[in-house]
Amino acid sequence: MKRAVALLMAVGISAWACEGVGVEVGKEPAKRTLRFALIPKALDIPVFGYANVGAQRKARQIGGVEVIYHGPERADELKQKEILESFIAQKVDGIAISVLNADFLTSTIDRAIAAGIPVVTWDSDAPKSKRIAFYGVDDYKSGQIMGEEAARLLNGKGTIAFLTSAGANNLQRRLDGAKDALAKFPGIKIVDTFDIQEDSVKCAQFIATGTNRYPNLGAWISVGGWPVFTANALTPVDPKKTKFISFDTNPPAPDLLKAGKVQVLLGQKYFGWGSESVRLLHEIVNGKRPANPIIDSGVDVVTADNVEAYLKMWKTMEGGG
Amino acid sequence: MKRFWHAREFSTVAILVAEVLFFTWYLWPEAGRDHSFVTKENFLLIFKYSSIYGIAAIGAAIVIISGGVDLSPGAVIALTTVVTGYCFVQLGWPLWASASAGIAVGALAGLVSAWLIVRVGLPAFIATLGVMGIWRGTAFIVTQARFFDLSAQLPANWHVVGVSIDWLGPIVMIGLAGVFQILTTQYQWGRGVFAVGGNETAALFSGIPVNRIKTSAYVLSGLLAAVSGVVLAIVQGQGKADLATGYELDIIASAVVGGASLAGGRGSVAGAVLGALIFGVLRNALVQIPGATFYDRLIVGVVVIVIVVMDQLLLRRQAKL
Repeated sequence: MKRAVALLMAVGISAWACEGVGVEVGKEPAKRTLRFALIPKALDIPVFGYANVGAQRKARQIGGVEVIYHGPERADELKQKEILESFIAQKVDGIAISVLNADFLTSTIDRAIAAGIPVVTWDSDAPKSKRIAFYGVDDYKSGQIMGEEAARLLNGKGTIAFLTSAGANNLQRRLDGAKDALAKFPGIKIVDTFDIQEDSVKCAQFIATGTNRYPNLGAWISVGGWPVFTANALTPVDPKKTKFISFDTNPPAPDLLKAGKVQVLLGQKYFGWGSESVRLLHEIVNGKRPANPIIDSGVDVVTADNVEAYLKMWKTMEGGG
Repeated sequence: MKRFWHAREFSTVAILVAEVLFFTWYLWPEAGRDHSFVTKENFLLIFKYSSIYGIAAIGAAIVIISGGVDLSPGAVIALTTVVTGYCFVQLGWPLWASASAGIAVGALAGLVSAWLIVRVGLPAFIATLGVMGIWRGTAFIVTQARFFDLSAQLPANWHVVGVSIDWLGPIVMIGLAGVFQILTTQYQWGRGVFAVGGNETAALFSGIPVNRIKTSAYVLSGLLAAVSGVVLAIVQGQGKADLATGYELDIIASAVVGGASLAGGRGSVAGAVLGALIFGVLRNALVQIPGATFYDRLIVGVVVIVIVVMDQLLLRRQAKL
């Protein structure tokens, strides 16, 4: 019995903690609030937090919308599926998800649609599913931009190594786009592709060992933002010898660009992942479907020339503006 | 009857019931909505995902009761999904033969751990830590970062004798818990497991085959983790090397919350399954609370400590009486 009381206390503490971040207990809203679920690939990837900021801002703007942000603490497709199924069982009013493994989640997304719950994907799509819309970058096109930028920095000649995380559909398409763009430059040779398994620490390790293995490497292309999520991962890279092109522009990435460690960053619409998903779900619930299910968010190509202007815009968005 | 009220499992059931009641109250819906937590669909979901941990936790509990520890169940689960997927998809074997191959590999994995601990004399922690890396690595070598898609060859919305395949895990978990609860409490082998864990030297002098008991515990741990892997491969439809990463700690935690003492000689198979359900309810309910996503691990940690501390206090009180 004592343990039962203790458990109640423990859960009570957590409930209190949750209240601190916005849960209201016992208050019944006058009108039915729409509950939308926002599911990231993983909580330990910093960019997804910005999607939540954007989603909460849009929910406040629309009014009568509650966004529940919940995801696996790290890239665990089974846990992501469990969370998705939980939201279906709860009969939320809409689900916006960045899909870790498209094949694994397709049937579950279809089940949500069959249950009358609209699903939109953001950042990473499940193209074979019956999801209503996808908001995010055209990954193949983004990969091509990365390849072209690398070729420009190397004047069409040199060696390139890739950093990716195997299994995610969006990353594979970026990789394909970059490789196809580089194939037009016969003087460029791809020496290696490293699978960092969505782990920033492993990424830093691969950069260090890769730099030792290929001391005259022309450029690194990272199709995800892992190397620029920390100021230290690029320490072994000598920018005079090796250029660095990376996806993602969230801090501290612009500082690395200003310090000359990175030459090109490709920024996604991080806040838009959340705000556009909420907007789409709200419209779908109100009977308005998007004309085109694929909504290309475009990318921001950030270099030393425009980094200050980009940072100014970032601060406004981060503040919820 | 008095024995029932004093049984370790009763207090674990009480915790589980208290937890369910708490969340039933906490997640009470606003007017016009159905309850999102207390539904048949949601309880199936809790059982379905808890069974992945619960089946393996039966083996973990047996090992812990025998005075050991096994860090390899997560890796064995992943390897089993890969072996089952490889045999079914790549070799075209029937499902029963592929599942049997997966289970055989799990038993072999347990046998290797037992050999390292019993014959070579390595500490269980070190032996199973090494084995964990070997099986996870083997799974990656087999898949080459790809996966085996069993779902494409299994019937969609599969029902066996009118029962959805989603029930496979819960049925197997409850069945195995019943069998091993009887084996550990009513049979000589079970009494041997408790005796070896309680005092290995005394057990040896009492004529109990200590090495055989320890070997059987690790083989069963591997075998039961493999059963969990087979269920995972069939229900989720994938054989993938990175599945169940880090699950060993959740599996051990389930056994400990269910009453298993890491000092050995004490614990319960049924308690381990109840422990897995306690965590399953937490994982499910926290998804429904806005803002709770970052509190998941903290709450699980608090629950483990609170329950074990209360258990220790209860034991000391009983010892004084």
